[in-house]
Amino acid sequence: MARIRCENLTKRYGSVTAVDRLNLEVRDNEFMVLLGPSGCGKTTTLNIIAGLEELTEGDLLFDDTLVNFVPPHRRDIAMVFQSYALYPQKTVYENIAFGLRLRRMPRQEIDRLVQEVAADLKIAHLLDRRPHQLSGGQRQRVALGRAIVRKPSVFLMDEPLSNLDAALRITMRTLIKKLHQTMRTTFVYVTHDQAEAMTLADRIVVMHHGVLQQLGTPDDIYNRPCNMFVASFLGSPQMNFVEGALERNGSGYVFRRADLTLSVNGLADNLASAHLGRPVVLGLRPEDVDLRQTDGARETVACHVGLVLPLGSEQHISAVVGGEEMIFKIDKDVEVGVGEQILFGVDPSRIHLFDADSGLSLHASGRA
Amino acid sequence: MTTASQTRSNIERHVAVRRKPLLPAVGRRALLLSLSVLFLAYVIGPVYWVFVSSIQSEADLVSVPPNWVPDDVTLQNFHAIFFYDAKEVTYESRRIGDPATGDFIPTAAQNLLPALYNSVYVGVWVAILNVLLSLTAAYAIARIRFRGRRPTLYLILVTRAIPDIALVVPLFLVMRNFLDIVNTRESLIITYLAVTVPFTVFILINYFESIPADLGKAARVDGCSHLQVLRHVYLPVGMPAVVASLLFAFLTSWNEFVLALMLTSTIAAQTLPIVISGFVFDFTTSFSLVNAAGVVAIVPPVVLAILFERYIVSGLTAGAVKG
Repeated sequence: MARIRCENLTKRYGSVTAVDRLNLEVRDNEFMVLLGPSGCGKTTTLNIIAGLEELTEGDLLFDDTLVNFVPPHRRDIAMVFQSYALYPQKTVYENIAFGLRLRRMPRQEIDRLVQEVAADLKIAHLLDRRPHQLSGGQRQRVALGRAIVRKPSVFLMDEPLSNLDAALRITMRTLIKKLHQTMRTTFVYVTHDQAEAMTLADRIVVMHHGVLQQLGTPDDIYNRPCNMFVASFLGSPQMNFVEGALERNGSGYVFRRADLTLSVNGLADNLASAHLGRPVVLGLRPEDVDLRQTDGARETVACHVGLVLPLGSEQHISAVVGGEEMIFKIDKDVEVGVGEQILFGVDPSRIHLFDADSGLSLHASGRA
Repeated sequence: MTTASQTRSNIERHVAVRRKPLLPAVGRRALLLSLSVLFLAYVIGPVYWVFVSSIQSEADLVSVPPNWVPDDVTLQNFHAIFFYDAKEVTYESRRIGDPATGDFIPTAAQNLLPALYNSVYVGVWVAILNVLLSLTAAYAIARIRFRGRRPTLYLILVTRAIPDIALVVPLFLVMRNFLDIVNTRESLIITYLAVTVPFTVFILINYFESIPADLGKAARVDGCSHLQVLRHVYLPVGMPAVVASLLFAFLTSWNEFVLALMLTSTIAAQTLPIVISGFVFDFTTSFSLVNAAGVVAIVPPVVLAILFERYIVSGLTAGAVKG
């Protein structure tokens, strides 16, 4: 059990800043996911928490104890790597038992714990094998076993599922979520996969170029992105963006671009009035449109279907709206043909507006 | 309109057309075979001659035409090396002092066994200490980012650019005036380490850098100090490189001549190459005995190479991380 606190944590490699003044508090028993594209500093942050790399500036605290200079083997942490990093010359049993042996635990106790963990992870029949005789999924289970057998107070995972195939990834995701619930320890999980982040996390940290972009629950991050980077990084297909101008319309605001006019809700009044007549970017998630609900309460968008991309469970259609090509998700059963004119209903509260220069959201934070 | 020949040349341009072989198959094989035989003769010939001449008497050895296959096998040379029995040369028995009789054994033969011991002693210590020193240095340089890491590496490598012979005189002076260990086996061990350690560090750094860094990190998180990471991960995984370093250091020490000649003066510390070279006298050379000593000198390295052969295979890291 541990809280982790990063205060102005900075890591530089020569002139390159990998992590820039990161302030972050991971709560006890929390599942925290660090999310971002490759090179965003998330793995560096994890390595610093593990003690595998030294920080350049700032402080790192475990439960209010400064651990900047505590070596990894004194931090009571366990880590799972993308490459699994199993000891090639040791059997599965020895791999799992290694950490316990180093702690001079009695032999029977080690044996009991290893057997227990192996049974939990369904690798009991593999204990005599060596890593090169295992499949990717089995290796990852062994790596997990090696980490959980020690009952660490902090559990670190560096893209543990990235080398697995898609089906296995979903099974392992469930396994990791269960582990977190049964072990009740602090997890810090690094990934570039938004689906992993959304499904596993209690809270997500989105990072880009070494800078924290947004910290919040999966719901916050997905529905209330604080800038265009966060908005575009989560969601598949990506959020649609179109640049235009903001105008006042009575008590509210409207976004206008060519033939597209949409009223927008939930803007922070001071931000919105400062952006009147200035370029802003409208963001609309592909799933936030509705073909059937086009009654008066909603804004509508008319367009011609350009392409239809059926996925089985849903369909994606591309259409030109406001001079930009946009992708929309529609139900699998709806029949649309290329060139057909369609009408979407759009909920104004689902529309996102950003400053065109800074990319920052114009919405009041904490809106519904 | 394209003609048929144009079409064909177009096809040949795009498709690998099987060419007529330069030589017919039989001729090719014959050529390869004769080249192989020549190469084998070049490699094995000298070894064969050393061995064959070591089991002949001096008289048989120098006969013309030479005996490619020994007529009369004798182990007297080996007997002389391993069971040296000093014979007093008197006027009556003066013929045993005459190389032409074929029974001549130089008195220096009694030094071969002590020299063998010196060579093994020095070689084994150099091999062990070399690996111990190089392992820690190579691990630190390969895996720990410390201030001055690059300069350290360059400094180690630069020492290899200086020819050993250039350092003989200062080395001798240091050994004599400061350490006072001239003509001891320890002086040889220290000197040879200076030759082998930089090279071994260089080899091990390259090998360690090919070991996935995650392995070491995993061990650190599992609870290893740096020394334990070295002991539990890098040593076993790097075994092929470690064994190669052991052999390299032993062989360097075993074959070294110039430095040993400078630093040793008596059989208290002289190694095999020095003693064997001592069989070449001003007036006569006992070829059969020199060659017998040569056989003795060849055996230990060959045995070592055979013993450790199975360790000198890579591929131990296979399966550690997903490739």
